[in-house]
Amino acid sequence: MSDVTLILAAIERGDVRAVDELFPLVYQELRQLAAQRMRKESPGQTLQATALVHEAYLRLVGSQEQKWSGRGHFFAAAAEAMRRILIDNARRKKSLKRGGSRKRIDLDEAVATGDDKTSLDDLVALDEALEKLSKKDKAKADLVKLRYFAGLTNEQAAEVLGISPSTVDRYWAYARSWLRLEMAKGNQTARG
Amino acid sequence: MCAEHKKNEEAIFNEAIGIKSDAERAAFIKSACGDDTTLLARIEALLKVHFADKSFLKSPPAGIAGTLDAGPLTEAPGMSIGRYKLLQLIGEGGFGVVYMAEQQEPIRRKVALKIIKLGMDTKQVIARFEAERQALAMMDHPNIARVLDAGATDTGRPYFVMELVKGIPITEYCDKNNLDTRRRLELFIDVCKAVQHAHQKGIIHRDIKPSNVMIMLHDGKPVPKIIDFGIAKATQQRLTEKTLFTEYRQFIGTPEYMSPEQAEMSGLDIDTRSDIYSLGVLLYELLTSTTPFESGKLRIVAYDEIRRIIREDEPPRPSTRLSTLGNALTDIARHRDA
Repeated sequence: MSDVTLILAAIERGDVRAVDELFPLVYQELRQLAAQRMRKESPGQTLQATALVHEAYLRLVGSQEQKWSGRGHFFAAAAEAMRRILIDNARRKKSLKRGGSRKRIDLDEAVATGDDKTSLDDLVALDEALEKLSKKDKAKADLVKLRYFAGLTNEQAAEVLGISPSTVDRYWAYARSWLRLEMAKGNQTARG
Repeated sequence: MCAEHKKNEEAIFNEAIGIKSDAERAAFIKSACGDDTTLLARIEALLKVHFADKSFLKSPPAGIAGTLDAGPLTEAPGMSIGRYKLLQLIGEGGFGVVYMAEQQEPIRRKVALKIIKLGMDTKQVIARFEAERQALAMMDHPNIARVLDAGATDTGRPYFVMELVKGIPITEYCDKNNLDTRRRLELFIDVCKAVQHAHQKGIIHRDIKPSNVMIMLHDGKPVPKIIDFGIAKATQQRLTEKTLFTEYRQFIGTPEYMSPEQAEMSGLDIDTRSDIYSLGVLLYELLTSTTPFESGKLRIVAYDEIRRIIREDEPPRPSTRLSTLGNALTDIARHRDA
């Protein structure tokens, strides 16, 4: 059994301290996977965050039968790790932009914008809005992280959070709108 | 038609999106909001995102390639972090790792560099540290190791730079050198005086335990040095901020040394008395080689039980504890020159 499966088993037993041990392992794995993929993929290819998360799951947990709540913890950790990875790097690139050579960064940004055109600024703005949402309504913020960063479906997220799929739909609808407005607010103050 | 709608933004929004006809929906929200024009505008804005901006958050974030670099994931001796060059790994624990490092500027000296493990919100950790930095800088005591600097590594982990203390934990030192009770108490009094100095400056340690109370030798004499002042406060996150799920809690601190109010984790801030409690645990350990609540007992039970034990159970007095130790007593006595 891998380290991660042992930790998940511990969490199942109620050892909540194990939750904290999960995160660094998942984070490490995701970063390594991303770095490996980058080396292999041709330039211009974009990497999907959720594809990485699922691949990390297979590598760390394997195809062993896992009780869903164990998998839930994994994906929650992965969602958080993925978010951290993306945001930390987006922030770094942004601060490089302020000082460094413009030409290089523009090229990077071109590669960075995939199908949904998530720019660096958007990512950072989303993260800040998520922080605010987390303080106001943690369950909704958790939901967004699980669906957006770990790619869980409506049903899967419902199980992880312990709510019904219809509640997930409601939360998701409101959270989406709330975040978008919050991000727009941020833009306004930035320009003003 | 419902009797009354609470002027609750979320509730109105939820009901509104269920209404199929645009006209009916517009009518509904007008009546739900009444004369609260701000609320109406807000609801309209929320609905606009819902119906018009379908792509937002739809697909998962792509384009990681552009945002990641293939740089090293962990630090290692030889690397530099800021103006500090890592020389040698000197400690490892639940918190992360400690390196001996060399500072180049403005002066050359050796320091201890503590890199906190992943899983913490680096920005917040640094911010909390900065908030206390001024007060920490005002502390000047021979038995307190100074925290000199803080920052974040390229891999996004917070680090702290501290005065390098070459020594061993106080409990280990006392046992290794078979110090008798009197000499142990003398060292302990020095520790207390140092903690008092910090308290007078308004600084609470929050994580007093043997591994944070080191003994170093100065001219052959043992000198206590308390380390990690200011770090525990920066890295200890409040429950509500740290949890991934609302129903699970993160156990912060070392259970054996946690005061009841710290174990309570009500979210209220603790005061200097928590340090006093931990000092009490340290004294207990110096006298008996065990902690009031035994590690074995605390670590196998679930979180809520740990809290309950610390808050409610009465630990055995040192004299009573010693009498229950059986064979171990011989070693303990030997280490105390008794």
